[in-house]
Amino acid sequence: MNSLNEGLVVAIRAIIGFFSLLIFTRVIGKEQISQLNFFDYVLGITIGSIAATVTTDLSSRAWPHWVGLLVWAVLGYLMEIITLKSRNAAKYLEGEPAIIIKDGKIMEKALKQEKYRVSDILSLLRNEGIFDINEVRYAIIEPNGRLSVMKKPEYQPLTPKDMNIQVADQSLSAVVIYDGRVVEESLSLIKQDKTWLMEQLSKRGIKKISEVFLATIDSSGKFYIDKYDDQSS
Amino acid sequence: MTTSRLNSGFILVWRGLDIKKIIKFLLPVLTIIIFILVMQSGSWLKKPIGDEYDFSELVHDIIENVNNGQWDKVKEKSDDLENTWRRILVRVQFSSERDEINFINTALSRLKGAIMAEDKTSALLELNEALNHYNQLSK
Repeated sequence: MNSLNEGLVVAIRAIIGFFSLLIFTRVIGKEQISQLNFFDYVLGITIGSIAATVTTDLSSRAWPHWVGLLVWAVLGYLMEIITLKSRNAAKYLEGEPAIIIKDGKIMEKALKQEKYRVSDILSLLRNEGIFDINEVRYAIIEPNGRLSVMKKPEYQPLTPKDMNIQVADQSLSAVVIYDGRVVEESLSLIKQDKTWLMEQLSKRGIKKISEVFLATIDSSGKFYIDKYDDQSS
Repeated sequence: MTTSRLNSGFILVWRGLDIKKIIKFLLPVLTIIIFILVMQSGSWLKKPIGDEYDFSELVHDIIENVNNGQWDKVKEKSDDLENTWRRILVRVQFSSERDEINFINTALSRLKGAIMAEDKTSALLELNEALNHYNQLSK
């Protein structure tokens, strides 16, 4: 007796799951992974898990799983809209930043409320390059679980402005050669052409563009060149 | 450049923007509609197309023939039933669950055995089971 072509069915269902997930996640929002709070994280896992079921669970139809996926995505989208429109709803649903250290003193009550151990806070502080709590003016636990730290003024790093030092303006470097090919858009951006680029390369002992893996130029005209041949200077 | 040429240029730009926006909106909407159609297509794709036999009508005919003891007709029509199911299966496999498909396959295989043995009770059991799973298909 003929049976269903499982490979083909999974392939079609994978296409449905993949593009549905792509469309739904685009609609839900563009938050970065690092900005996700715990609920967003769980939401992502659940939606991903349902999409996987849509693809490979042939013992049931794709439709009910897909409806589940749609409802989760719609609810996620609604939560996004509600938290955008109402500050109170955002506070209630996503939580608020909590001051955990104030003037070098740990706020035990807030710590307990946020369900953080002191060792967690010390670890997060070390991630920020702080090994002495005395250096901290404010440490705040953000709703996404990250720690924001403001150091006491005496521990803040010195900046050129503090010293009244004039520094040269800096801008992003333009990539002029990538993977042995000239990036024409970057050249026109810096108002130069291929002939000029070849001159610059020959000054540095490079005969062909195809020898270069990456070449960038900064606003001061300084070149960075990386050749495929890493042995030669 | 004259004002009218400038204006027509602006209109072209606006039209260009509109088409892009429409495509951006329509592309995901159409994709989702196609997906829904594929997933929900089983309920109408299991029905006969063109000169095909109707699966449920065929089952009812065979039940009648079994009840009348017309085993030659039953044999002939059970082959038609198998061929009809084979054609339906190709169409409904993307929108149906594997278990329902397997149950119909099993019922049709058992039906073959019952027809060989000219066993009325077993044939009626398998025919009704096949019909029930067919009705449940893509629901």
